Amino acid sequence: MSSTFYLEILSHNRVFYTGNAENLILPVLDGEMGVLAKHEPMVSAICAGEMRFKVNGEWKIAAVGDGFAEIMPEYVVILVDTVELPEEIDVRRAQEAKQRAEEKLKQKENLIEYYHARAALARAMARLKVTGKHI
Amino acid sequence: MASMREIRSRIKSIKDTMKITNAMYLISSSKLRKAKKQLSDIEPYFEKIQSTMVDILQHTSELDNKYFDERSDSLKKKKGYIIITGDKGMAGAYNHNVIKLAESVLSEDDENLLFLIGNMGKQYFKQKNVRMNEDFLGIIQEPTVFRARAVAEAAIGLFEARKLDEVYMVYTKMLSSVKIEPQLLKLLPLEKTKLSNYDELKTKYEQIATYEPSPNKVFNHLVPNYIKGLIFGALIESHASEHQARMMAMDSATNSAKEMIKSLELAYNRARQAAITQEISEIVGGAQSLK
Repeated sequence: MSSTFYLEILSHNRVFYTGNAENLILPVLDGEMGVLAKHEPMVSAICAGEMRFKVNGEWKIAAVGDGFAEIMPEYVVILVDTVELPEEIDVRRAQEAKQRAEEKLKQKENLIEYYHARAALARAMARLKVTGKHI
Repeated sequence: MASMREIRSRIKSIKDTMKITNAMYLISSSKLRKAKKQLSDIEPYFEKIQSTMVDILQHTSELDNKYFDERSDSLKKKKGYIIITGDKGMAGAYNHNVIKLAESVLSEDDENLLFLIGNMGKQYFKQKNVRMNEDFLGIIQEPTVFRARAVAEAAIGLFEARKLDEVYMVYTKMLSSVKIEPQLLKLLPLEKTKLSNYDELKTKYEQIATYEPSPNKVFNHLVPNYIKGLIFGALIESHASEHQARMMAMDSATNSAKEMIKSLELAYNRARQAAITQEISEIVGGAQSLK
């Protein structure tokens, strides 16, 4: 058995996961980052995307929103806006959100609206990606 | 002694008021149940986000980030306050306590900008000569992450544009199911020393944490998120506290109404008895005089 670290995943409305994990892959600002036990202390920003973590040899997948991670040699804390399992995601809603965001991006509104739409698009894409129905 | 009719009308008016207070009690208790569920959902996040931030800052060396800028160059600090009150009164000292705390910190300077959330705060500060932002007035009714994000963006935007040098938040924390307390929380700029009053926490890892991709980028992403989380948590806490306070106030109002009715009914019965006795003695007196 490979060595494990303590993993906590929290979102605004629930405690998603607490317990040991062997491996963790996070969507960060410049790509994906893998975390194993005894990682060097690190703080990282998470952006909307697909997160994977391995518990007892089994990979679990979840869609996450923006947030950040505190990585220490023995534990990892992940605080994100949203986190969902693939089976919890409403595919149609995500698709609609994606469409809405794309329309909004085309309209070239002010900068804040542009950022909001871009973030919404990233969230919708992340959701669609983990459900495997990504177009 | 008050007449029977007077007492009866008083009893009736108290009973009517009691119906209102009792209805408000029931409404508040059902709303409180909902708010408490929301609170218990967010509480782990709210506490973790604060302790994690402390932890992160402890592992951070000197950092030149815009969110840590103390603005020591500006002589007169422009401060922003996010003040969370309820929309309605009838909640005991809930609104009063928040306003009192806000007022005590506001009096220190005069260049303040208030972000008012909740109608009661607006009503109070309208009479004062202060700058107010009323864009977020109604969001206390149904706190959502999106609205919290809007507040956070407005505050951070003004901070970055140097229109505000410091940002605080006044909200009500639910200490236990019977105790609520107004709190003052500094949001910006982040203070290393103030956040690190977490000394009991064993600092196992003395080494400095690294940042991926770079400290500045991480903090630029992390701080707005942190502030949004704090504001959302505070909104939920305040919302639950408001209903808690209103429930308690209405409960005690209903109880004292019951007590008043009890004593008035006693007085009413006495008056009634006195009237009957008087009538009997009048009849007896009349009958005797006929003999």
